Parts: sequence; structure tokens; C-alpha cells
Amino acid sequence: MEKKKGISSKVIIIISLLFFYLPIVYIIIFSFNSSRSLTSFGGFSLRWYQKMFADKNMIESLLYTIIVAILATIISTVAGTITSIGLSKSKRVLQSMVENVNSFPVMNPEIVTAIGLLMFFSALTVRKGFGTMLIAHIMFCIPYVMLSVSPKLKSLDPNLTDAALDLGATPFQALTKVIVPQIKPGIISGALIAFTMSFDDFIISYFVTGNGVQNISILVYTMSKRINPSINALSTIIIAIITIVLLVVKFSPAARTIKDGATSGGSNKARYIVLGVVVAAVIAGCGAGISALGSKSRDDAIAKYGSDTLKFYNWGEYIGEDVIENFEDEFGVKVICEYFDSNEMMYTKIQSGESYDVLVPSDYMIERLIASDYLMELDLSLIPNLSNVAEGCRNLDFDPDNTYSVPYFWGTVGIVYNTEKVPYEELEEKGFSILKDTKYKGRIFMYDSERDSFMIALKSLGYSMNTNNMDEIMEAYEWLLDLNNTMAPVYVLDEVIDSMSNGIKDMAIVYSGDATVILDENEDMGYFMPYEGTNLWSDGMVIPKNAQNPLLAHEFINYILTYEASYDNSATVGYASSNEEVLLEMSGPEGMFEENEAYLPRMGYEKDEIFRDDPVLKKTLSELWIKVKAVN
Amino acid sequence: MKKFRLMTYPYVAWISVLIIVPMILIILYAFTVGGNDVATFRFSFANFQRFVTDAVFMEVLGRSLYIAFITTVLCLFLGYPVAYVISKAGDKHNLILILLITLPTWINMLVRTYAWMGILQDGGLFASILLVFGIEGVEMMHTNFAVILGMVYNFIPFMILQIHTSLAKMDTSLLDAASDLGASKKQAFLRVTLPLSAPGIISGITLVFLPAVSSFFIPKLLGGGQFVLVGNVIENQFLVAGDWNFGSAISLIMAAVIMLLMFLTRKVEKKTSMSGGED
Repeated sequence: MEKKKGISSKVIIIISLLFFYLPIVYIIIFSFNSSRSLTSFGGFSLRWYQKMFADKNMIESLLYTIIVAILATIISTVAGTITSIGLSKSKRVLQSMVENVNSFPVMNPEIVTAIGLLMFFSALTVRKGFGTMLIAHIMFCIPYVMLSVSPKLKSLDPNLTDAALDLGATPFQALTKVIVPQIKPGIISGALIAFTMSFDDFIISYFVTGNGVQNISILVYTMSKRINPSINALSTIIIAIITIVLLVVKFSPAARTIKDGATSGGSNKARYIVLGVVVAAVIAGCGAGISALGSKSRDDAIAKYGSDTLKFYNWGEYIGEDVIENFEDEFGVKVICEYFDSNEMMYTKIQSGESYDVLVPSDYMIERLIASDYLMELDLSLIPNLSNVAEGCRNLDFDPDNTYSVPYFWGTVGIVYNTEKVPYEELEEKGFSILKDTKYKGRIFMYDSERDSFMIALKSLGYSMNTNNMDEIMEAYEWLLDLNNTMAPVYVLDEVIDSMSNGIKDMAIVYSGDATVILDENEDMGYFMPYEGTNLWSDGMVIPKNAQNPLLAHEFINYILTYEASYDNSATVGYASSNEEVLLEMSGPEGMFEENEAYLPRMGYEKDEIFRDDPVLKKTLSELWIKVKAVN
Repeated sequence: MKKFRLMTYPYVAWISVLIIVPMILIILYAFTVGGNDVATFRFSFANFQRFVTDAVFMEVLGRSLYIAFITTVLCLFLGYPVAYVISKAGDKHNLILILLITLPTWINMLVRTYAWMGILQDGGLFASILLVFGIEGVEMMHTNFAVILGMVYNFIPFMILQIHTSLAKMDTSLLDAASDLGASKKQAFLRVTLPLSAPGIISGITLVFLPAVSSFFIPKLLGGGQFVLVGNVIENQFLVAGDWNFGSAISLIMAAVIMLLMFLTRKVEKKTSMSGGED
């Protein structure tokens, strides 16, 4: 009987560990992948490890993540445990009040807590960064600790404490010698959950931090274009380190003596001291690492520009591999990079008063920033390289004379199709309405964005994509609803790059720059811009009015327009360069994207349009879009 | 005793500032219209009306609760045996096993979810395994199965931790007493172990259900954009539509529904702990 039980226990443990570690093994394997894909293996390579160690930003974020997680865990565990104990002796009313308030951050989507805290910190005008992030983490960790500790307290015999007090123990002694040992499993699991929550938090951290302080989650989630596999390398290293630490703790002789001491009840203190020393050393090490990464001030730059640091707020994974480093070396300055993953995310931060030197918003968002009076007029005499800019992306409708913005990347939206499955003639004949050909039912990826989807419907119906005529919009809504009901499409975001590179579906709506990457990786794929016209988009560099360092910002914009920087940008990211020379070279004979029809945007086609900013329309479309998708 | 109560006050002050004040801001948004700028506020119930009168939104909320419910039930029934086995493994292996279960959660959730996408997609690991058994053409990505698998994977460690906590250091003399009094193993488990672990089960359910209702990264990636849950709608209002008023209103409605459900669960908890309480 006993033996049988032992076997079934082992089976349960083994199965559950297999389940927990299957994705982890997958991550480890793909950290050695030679290609960029996260889902198909190209061959063994160490390039992502090299890239990871060379990436100062990533290492710095890792150090911040560790410090914040350790401090938040310690503080929230102690505070949560103390409060729970106090609460267990308090009145029912107080107990249930605190329990209810605690459940808010646990059940609300993070964005709600994040916006609340953002408004709160902004109202107090505190400087956002390490301190605000730590406070926020402690805030959302404590409820988890309390949820773990309280059940243990509930099953604790209340007479135990009384007995201890009666026998002459001070309240402190009763606490540390009687209560805490009894509820220890709860405290440990509370601490573990707190650490997990802090280590993995993205949205709250994103909105309460600032001034270049970031954690790993922020980096990962804002890799909007494509998750960089060096994250897999980083994860593997984290796993390796934790495993080593665990093995050392379990098998080292020092740990063993401490452990023996602990079981005999003698030197619990010694154990805590060792633990304390280790934790302090880790925090000190991370702190030293961060200050070592932050370089000394450069007097030359300060004399010339008034400061030696530039704050650059860009899309994730949207810049050439060496652009930032080369700029830093050439001008003797330091660039702090922060990232966003949607225009609205960026706008929320700007609105909250965060200051940056250069931003890279999209067309309609530039229009909104101008209208909200957030942008500075550029001093074009400081940007002589503006003459390098390609004709097709200059003087666009949202900023007719490039008064506020200078183009960064640009492109179109089109259909990526499998040339083996979808004949070109059919695309040419049907345009966007091929998406409603039931031959391809279940074989389509749509892009999960209301504006792009309505663009497709409106264009297919022959209307302007900027229309605010409700009849036309409702007609487009019916068009999309019909597509949803008859074609069983899957709505995806940037994971479309990986999926189409693997040829998962026959057709997908994709931004031209991402299509360039797909075509590069899968030669069966083609890119098609329908005759009905499409969205011609452009992301531009702008300088906000509250920029700390406008002079250096102009220098940076000018630098991005150089041949070298533009080439690196376009070669790395795959989007069409705003630099004419680079654009022609890359798409021309012998160029990197010579055979790639997605790279070069269609120029001068009159049915192509640029999105204009219309916040009211955007709300309407967003609500209709939810209805399109939610109907099942 | 009084001294212990004093330990609560700092936290009450802390949550008043850091949870209640931001919450009041959200409530303010929910009951007003007129943009994200505090200066242009106008009081209104319009946001609530918009949600309640539209069948689609109610459907989305219903679907979120349903998915969260399934996730919680699965986490409970799959997690309980694991927690039970770990708590019986003895002090030596206990902590290591718990750490082994927790360790994967320290790897970024998005990275882990991407790994699942690779495992589940057409031509991925699972499809290849099925192919060995001659099963072909099973779509796993963008289905209920994928979403629930991803959710269970992400949340089950919390359930295991909570149940394990309540089982660890359980007074085993109670079990001896039960068997001395002639209870079978099954009876002892149902009458002694299970009621004693009830507080852990309840807090495990809380820790899984509450975040599961509003989760949106996992459904979005594994289920596709057509998998609209209330978390997606709220996120969309804040980060895409820029309508903070409506987003706040939805989150309040969701909070109210969940609070009601939790209130009912607590009632049940009280009943069960009463019936098991005499031991």
C-alpha cells in the first residue's frame, strides 16, 4: 500500500513538472536558434547570447528588475504579514474592509490600477523612476502576501498567543516565537507570489516609471515589431543562475551545517544572517552594475549642447543595431532609450507630463500632438540632412511643410499571400474583396486594429478611409461583420510575422515593413497592394515642447537622416527608409531588398491615403470593431 | 491584544493613499463624460448605460466569467493532488518542489506564452506528436483549448502554493485520531484534510479567479483577436480608443460583479468550515 502510494505520488510530480517545464525547455532550445523566429528552428548559434551581453539596456533592465523584485518582496512580505496578524485580532468590519480594498488591484486589469497610479503620481509631481516603481510594486504585492498568510492565521488556534502572553512572553516574543513559526508556509508562499508578481509586471511598471528606469517586462512587451530572441537567451541565463543557486543551497557544506543547525532548532539566527548577507550582496552588486553602466558626464557635450544626455522615446525593436552606439561615440553623449508599443501609450505618457527629447509617433498621432500644442517647431537650419529625405514621404498632409516632424520610416498596408495557393491574377481582379472569397475560408489572418480593418472595408466599398459619414461607416461595419461570419478569420497582431514566415495561413493583412521580413524568410510569400488604394503611413521624429535638450535633439534627428544611420535602420528593421539614397539602393539592383516587392512603398497612387486624426471617429470605430470580433 | 491591532493602522493609511485615492479617480472617470482631462468633466451615467444596454458587452463579460470559472475549476482539481503530494513529501523535498513549481513563473509570461504558441501551432510539437499516432489536421491554436491551457499553465502555481500552504504543518494527530476512531482513508480525507485545507482552497480560488477574469494577453495571443474578453475591452478603451471614462465604467461594473461572486463564495466558505469545524 505504502509503495503504491509512493509511485502514484511520483507520477503526479513527474507529470506536473513535465507540464511546467515544457515551455521552458522550448525557450532554452530557441535561445540557440540561428534565425529570428521564435517558432521555427533554423540551426544552432550563440548570436542571441552575444547580442544580449552587448545590450547595455537589457543588462541594466535586468539589474533593475532584480533589485525592485527583491526589495518589493521583502518589504511587502514583512508588511503584509504584520498587517495580517494585526488584522486577525481586529474587528470583523475592519477585516472585511481591508480584504475588499485589497482585492481591487488583484482583480482590476492592470491598466486600471496603472492609470490610477499614473494620475496620482503626476498630480503629486513626483519624479518618476525607481522610487515610484518600487512603491507601486509594494502596493500590488502586499494583497498577494496577505491572501497567502491569512488562511494560515485563520486555522491558527487563538489560544496559543494568549498562552504565550500568560506565560510571560512579551507581545514581540509571542509574535516571533509562536505566531510566525506557525504561519511560516503561508509567509513563504506569499513571498514567492510577490516575487513572481513583481518580476513579471509590465503595465503598472510602465506607467509609473520614467527617466530611463525600466524592467525586463517593459522591454519584452514593447518589442512591438518582433520579440527579440535574446530574451530567450536572457531567460535561459536566469534559469541557469537560479538552478545553480538552488543546487548550492542544497548541497554545499556550509548550507548543510546551517540546515542541521536549523533542524536542531539552534542557529536559526545564523541562517537568517547568511540569507540577509546574500540578499544585501545581490542588491549591492546590481546597484554597482547600474552605476557602472551609467557613464561619467562629458564636458565637451555639455559645453556644446547644454547637456550630455538625450531621451529618445521610440517603438520597440525599431532602430538599427549600432545606430545609438555610433551616435553616442561620435557626439560624446549618452542616449536614454524608452519604448512604446502603441501611439496611445506614448500619448498617455506625454500627457502625464513626462519629458522626452525625441519621439517617433505615427502620422495621425503627430497631427494630434500638434493640435494639443505638445510639439516644438523644428529649427530646420539645424537639420541640413533634411535634403536627403525621399520625395514620397515629405510634406505629408498631417504636417504639410515638415514644420514639426521629420520622416523616420514609411510604408503601406497590403496583403501577404502564399504564391503557391493564391493566384496573382485573382488578387489583381478582386483586390481587398478576395478576403471574402469562401475558397479561403479559415485561411486568413486579419490585423487586429480597428483603423486598418475599417480602412480595408471602406476602400473595398470605394469610400475614403477617413470618412466620417455614418452611413458609409455602417456599410463598412456590415462588410467586416460579413467577413467575420463567413470566413472564420483569425485576428492577430505582430505574431503574424512569425506565423506567416512559417506559412501558417494563405493570406494576411500586414504592414509593408513586416511583409518585407516575411518575404525575406519565406520565398513562397508575395506582397500585394490592392488597386482600390490602401493606407500610406509614415512615422516621424518630433521634439516635444518640454524637451530638456532640444539642441541635441536636432543633432540626433539630423544624424538619423544620414546615409549610415538610415541604412542600418532599414537593414535591421526592414521598413522603408526615409533617406532617398538608402531607399533606392536597397530596392535597386544588387540591393538588400531587390527582389522584395514589399520594401518599396507605392508612390503617387492617388487612391492611397494617409490617416487623419479624429478622436471621435476612433472611439466609434473601436466600439464597432469589438462588436465585429465578439459576435460568435 | 490591543498591541497587535495597532499593527494594522499603517497599512490602512497606506491603502487609503495608494489604492483608494487612485480608485476614486477611476470612479470619477466612470461617472463623467468629456475626455481624459479632469478640467472638462461632466457628471453622467452614460458610460454605464452604454455597457448595460449593449448585448455584446454583456456577452463579453459573461464569456470572461465563464473562461475564468473553467480555469479556476481546472486549477483546483489539477492543483490539489499536486499540492497534496508535495505536502506529504517531507521537509527535505518540500521547499525544493515548491521552488520547482514557482521557478517557471519567473520567466516572462509573454515569453512563455510564445513558447506555447510554438508548441501548439500547425506543424508544432503537439501536432508532430499527434501525427505519430496518425492523427492529422487538428487545429489547436486560436481555440478554447489553447486559451484555457495557457490560462491554467499561468495560474495553477498560485493554486498549488495556496493549497500546499494550508496542508503543510497540518496537525497530523487529527488524522491519527480519525483512523483510530475507525474512519477509512477516504473518510479521513473528506472529513479532516479537506475541511482543514478549505481556507487555502478559498484563497487559491481568489488568486486564480480574480486575475483570470481580467487577463487579456493570454487570450489575445493563444485565442486570437476574436477572443474578446472584458480585459481586452478595458485595455482597448484606455490604450487604443483613448476613452478613459468608458474604460473606467467597465472596470467598475466588472469589479461589482466579481465582488458579488466573492461575497457568495465566502458565504459558502463559512458553511463548509462550519460543517467541518467540529473536528
